[in-house]
Amino acid sequence: MSILLETQDLELAYGAFHAVNGVNLKVEAGTIHTIIGPNGAGKTSLFHCLTGERQATAGAIHFDGKNLMRKPAHGRVGLGMARSFQLTSLFQNLSVRENLRLAAQGRDGARALNFWRRVDSQREHLEMADQVLERLQLTARADTLAGELSHGQQRVLEVGMSICSKPKLLMLDEPTSGMGIDDIPIMTQLISDLGRDHTVLLIEHNMRIVMSISQRITVMSHGQILVVGTQVFVRVDERVRTAYLGEAA
Amino acid sequence: MSEKNPLPFAKTQSRAMLLWVLAVLIGLPLILPSATLATEILIFAMAALACNLLLGYTGLLSFGQGIFFGAGAYCAALLMIHLQLGLFTALLGAAIAGGFLALLVGALAIRRTGIYFVMLTLAFSQMAYFVAYTLSDWTGGDNGLLSVPRPEIRLGDTVLLSLADARAFYGFVAVLFLLIFIGARRVIASPFGSTLMAIRENETRASAIGYDTRHFKILVFVLSGAVTGIAGALYAMLLHFVPLSNIDLAMSENILIMTIVGGTGSLFGSLLGAGSIVLLGDFLSDLWPRWLMLLGVILILVVIFMRGGLWGGLASLFEKVCGSRKNVVIAKEEGL
Amino acid sequence: MLNLYLFQILNGLGLGMIYFLIAVGLTIIFGLLNFVNFAHGAFFLLGAYICYTAVSLTGNFWLALLIAPLVVAALAWVIERLLIQRIYHLPHMFQILVTLGIALIIQEASVMIWGPVGKSVAVPELLRGVLVVGDFVYHYYRLFLIVFSGLVGLGLWLLLERTRFGALVRAGSESTETVSLLGTNIFRLFSMTFALGVALAGVAGVLFAPLRGAQPFVGPEILGVAFVVVVIGGMGSFSGALVGGLLVGVVQSLMTRLWPQGASLMIYGAMAVVILIRPYGLFGRA
Repeated sequence: MSILLETQDLELAYGAFHAVNGVNLKVEAGTIHTIIGPNGAGKTSLFHCLTGERQATAGAIHFDGKNLMRKPAHGRVGLGMARSFQLTSLFQNLSVRENLRLAAQGRDGARALNFWRRVDSQREHLEMADQVLERLQLTARADTLAGELSHGQQRVLEVGMSICSKPKLLMLDEPTSGMGIDDIPIMTQLISDLGRDHTVLLIEHNMRIVMSISQRITVMSHGQILVVGTQVFVRVDERVRTAYLGEAA
Repeated sequence: MSEKNPLPFAKTQSRAMLLWVLAVLIGLPLILPSATLATEILIFAMAALACNLLLGYTGLLSFGQGIFFGAGAYCAALLMIHLQLGLFTALLGAAIAGGFLALLVGALAIRRTGIYFVMLTLAFSQMAYFVAYTLSDWTGGDNGLLSVPRPEIRLGDTVLLSLADARAFYGFVAVLFLLIFIGARRVIASPFGSTLMAIRENETRASAIGYDTRHFKILVFVLSGAVTGIAGALYAMLLHFVPLSNIDLAMSENILIMTIVGGTGSLFGSLLGAGSIVLLGDFLSDLWPRWLMLLGVILILVVIFMRGGLWGGLASLFEKVCGSRKNVVIAKEEGL
Repeated sequence: MLNLYLFQILNGLGLGMIYFLIAVGLTIIFGLLNFVNFAHGAFFLLGAYICYTAVSLTGNFWLALLIAPLVVAALAWVIERLLIQRIYHLPHMFQILVTLGIALIIQEASVMIWGPVGKSVAVPELLRGVLVVGDFVYHYYRLFLIVFSGLVGLGLWLLLERTRFGALVRAGSESTETVSLLGTNIFRLFSMTFALGVALAGVAGVLFAPLRGAQPFVGPEILGVAFVVVVIGGMGSFSGALVGGLLVGVVQSLMTRLWPQGASLMIYGAMAVVILIRPYGLFGRA
């Protein structure tokens, strides 16, 4: 199994506080890899470093053989990385199809600086958008404004946008956050599906989902990796229990 | 910008828009008492259009448009007066001057966002004014530049058309405006334009999906600056005079007012805005020297009751009358 | 020679204290209400004009010093209730547009009421004359200006730091939600804060009147300087407004001797530099 994403002693320090404190993450290509951990464990901070939203203060990040440390967020998309946000972050006043088309267009963001060509001349982006619409089962809502979708549909669109750039690695930050009980299976099925043609790195709190779809689980606590393993392994590990429930457990 | 954003956002426009513009261009000199007034409207419509590219489409509130307007005016005037350069060269020079200054202003200003971005453009505007004031050898300082020529359209040594007549000049400016309008529509309907709107909606997201937003913002600044520069040059040719006021903060404010009152939701709004403000000023200033008070009231009313500006008002009226939502407000994003 | 510089510096301090009063009002409004008030300069000139009228009617500058800010505050209160309250939630762009509109209305109304030329206000009896120290001469009024502004500043500081109202204002700038959840009538707080901020500009206008009179078209210039001071000092910061105001006042004063146009260029240039390098200004917080 090849390693698609790897970090070495990654650190993100805010002054004296280390949100990420020496993390050696290994994500194998073709797996669905979930990061779990109590609040404040540093999961989202780790994500920020990986996506480039924050500049790590120490350590290294290697993606697909390339060193990512100096690459800004928008540059990592071109290399095959895509993310979704925990707090829904869409283009509210644009249609669902346009949201997806923009995401597809962003794969080669610099090409979009062309201000003379017509947008619809780039068939491939529209086609990608339509394909993803189908996959998300949102074709009927293609022309609806993103802001008018239900919360569950917005979360699905969030994930959908990250597929459009044909990434090698999908990074999903709490995709089911705030979703109702009825919508969650749709998301779970989607992620499972995506896992077949992408590598997926996921932050999740919903243990049922984590256990049902993850091939590998990394448990974080206090900015460090506590345990890595399959769900069977992680479920019974003492340290995980302690991390979540405190010493007394 | 928040989810419940009350700002009426610009979208790509329908084909009918072009016909409306043509109608206005043809109708203006017929309805108005003077061709000069009509020309002034088109010149400011150009400036407002350029301002709207920044404001309505990219979400950037720039108090610096006066810098590019004034620079374009000075540049064209100086090229014509000192180097005896012709019409198109002067206009090109103005576009380059406006675009270049916009590059500088834009590159610096976009390092900040929100109110700090606005304050930066304001500071640069004041600085430009004082520079223009100080370099009075070039700019004429307080007195401005006088005797600015209005060259003919010529091919080599042959004079094709003299623009001395007000109507002829109007025709020339109208053609330019139409070309710029079509060009702006093209820009908006391009991948670049769609990305601008994405940046306006959610810059973080735009960045996260692969766009280096700085490049986009700087490019739209340059385009805006170039068009504003051309407008300034035409204004110099219209008045045969470049006053210092072309580059002061009030000019930037006026352009913004025209853009917002006209309606930031579409390019046609800029034409409406320029038309109404210029006409209002022209009509009222003879009747009532304190007409600015009325402008103040209008500004307040627009914000309270008609944030979409004149364009927004017309569009809703149209919707109500025609009943269909298809028309102008929800135009297709793909620009088809 | 030294006397000349001392003279200019004292002038600068006087001017700076006036800038401080204007800026601190603007910064309080921005700090709590997150509201960009482009009408601030107009309230300054209104203060000067009402002072003129009060002095014409009563012959008493001191009475005017009391009345004018109150009138300005009352007007501001009304405007806030009727208009400003509706636009807090709107993007800054609309706040700017509305306050620009208000500024225009005030400006033109001033010309209508008091004429286009400007009115002069006499220095009060008590403060006429000059102080003579060796061969250094300085007007009593200008010294009074510095001292009185300082007292107003001190009073304001006490108000903000030591009273319940002040605590609410400071807390509100951190989080209006929390303050309103604690049971405060947030709308009343906003109205009072707006009125207070504007009244400070009014006081500045009154103090400035005996120096340069009441002018209808100074609004934009005063507004510009106020923003420079607020940016340099830090938006929402009291000490920032003070230090920023004094800095700008002194620099402007000194530059007027050396290179008048340069003064404006420098202060706006400084504003740009501060925003680019240290946007929170000298004392502002994130």
